[in-house]
Amino acid sequence: MKNEAEKPNFITSSLDFLVNWGRTNSLWPFPYGTACCAIEFMSTEVGRYDLSRIGSEYVRFTPRQSDVLLVSGTITYKQAPILQRMYEQMAEPKWVIAMGACASSGGFYDCYCTVPGIDHIIPVDVYIGGCPSRPEAFFDAMFDLQNKIKDESYMKQRAERVKDQLEMIRAKTAECKAEAKALAAEKAAGAKEFLVEKEQKLIKKAQFWKE
Amino acid sequence: MDFSEKIVSVLEEKFGGKREPLAKWDACVVIPKEYLHNAVEFLKNDSSTQLDMLLDEAGIDYLTYPNHEGPRFAVSYSFKSTKVAGRRVRLKVLVSEADLKVPTLTDLYKSADWLEREVFDQFGIVFEGHPDLRRLLNHVEFVGNPLRKDYPAQKRQWLSTSDYLMPELEKRLESKGYKVIERSEEINPVDEEYLEGSRK
Repeated sequence: MKNEAEKPNFITSSLDFLVNWGRTNSLWPFPYGTACCAIEFMSTEVGRYDLSRIGSEYVRFTPRQSDVLLVSGTITYKQAPILQRMYEQMAEPKWVIAMGACASSGGFYDCYCTVPGIDHIIPVDVYIGGCPSRPEAFFDAMFDLQNKIKDESYMKQRAERVKDQLEMIRAKTAECKAEAKALAAEKAAGAKEFLVEKEQKLIKKAQFWKE
Repeated sequence: MDFSEKIVSVLEEKFGGKREPLAKWDACVVIPKEYLHNAVEFLKNDSSTQLDMLLDEAGIDYLTYPNHEGPRFAVSYSFKSTKVAGRRVRLKVLVSEADLKVPTLTDLYKSADWLEREVFDQFGIVFEGHPDLRRLLNHVEFVGNPLRKDYPAQKRQWLSTSDYLMPELEKRLESKGYKVIERSEEINPVDEEYLEGSRK
């Protein structure tokens, strides 16, 4: 039974298809623009190229409401903890696009202050070349990302997540049990000592009165 | 007589300056450290000069400079007049490695604040009397001074947490008449969460 539930069947694959269909066609980007690639992203987004025709209708300026973290620009070491925090704030499912040479590899800033590629800080799904990248290249990356999302299995991820959670719960329970056991053993030892002491006192008292 | 020639001769007479032979295109005077503040005050306030704008303040490291003799560092100041067109003068102060101290100009020019912080950050030259001498460009955990010639240019240093700037902000708000109801506290990150190299 357990193994069967993990295998894909008609219901799970249909659900996967449905979920992926929804996800691919409503990728809301969160622009993390620090340099000229962000300007290029603006032209991708507005009327002439029109990013909304593939479903990226809204550009959300908060990590809580977006699906794709779009890093467009140079990331310095001072900026790195902020970017990592932004990524951690995003809700699952989340994807990352590294736009342009700087975000992908540090670009020509081969120096003490620039992070050589954001993949040193956060996992990246799609890289775009160019300095800055053309809007066409950005669309290509979005199509790549859509293809990638279509291959993902919602049920499988869920099963893995549940498995992880189960393991965590088991580990926690075992830990708690061991703690409780240790505590009980301690208490029992304490009680035993207390009894022995009391007995000895009683014996002493009895001897005193006898005398 | 040209203005720059005149000002060079005045600085040479009054403040013991020397004309910089390397400067080909402008008037540049090397001033002794102890007369710098007086010289700048003269340049700013005197009616014959009226150099009321500090354009730039730059550190120089002469470590790998060919045929250089004398102290290793220098700080170069560029002045300009907003009242009379075309008046520009450059001053230079030589700083030896043993005594990395220069008097500050923040009491004369407000723009010197961040310029001096940048020179302090990149070269490690200390400006005496500066109100808030902190790093400007590099992060707080950075060790060394990256624009010195002996700093390896590709040596990278990770930062574990973003700069904590709330005390500065609160101070500024209080100086503007606001009242801080609750002081913020810095939350120190856990040791395991430090960014150490690649995290793939």
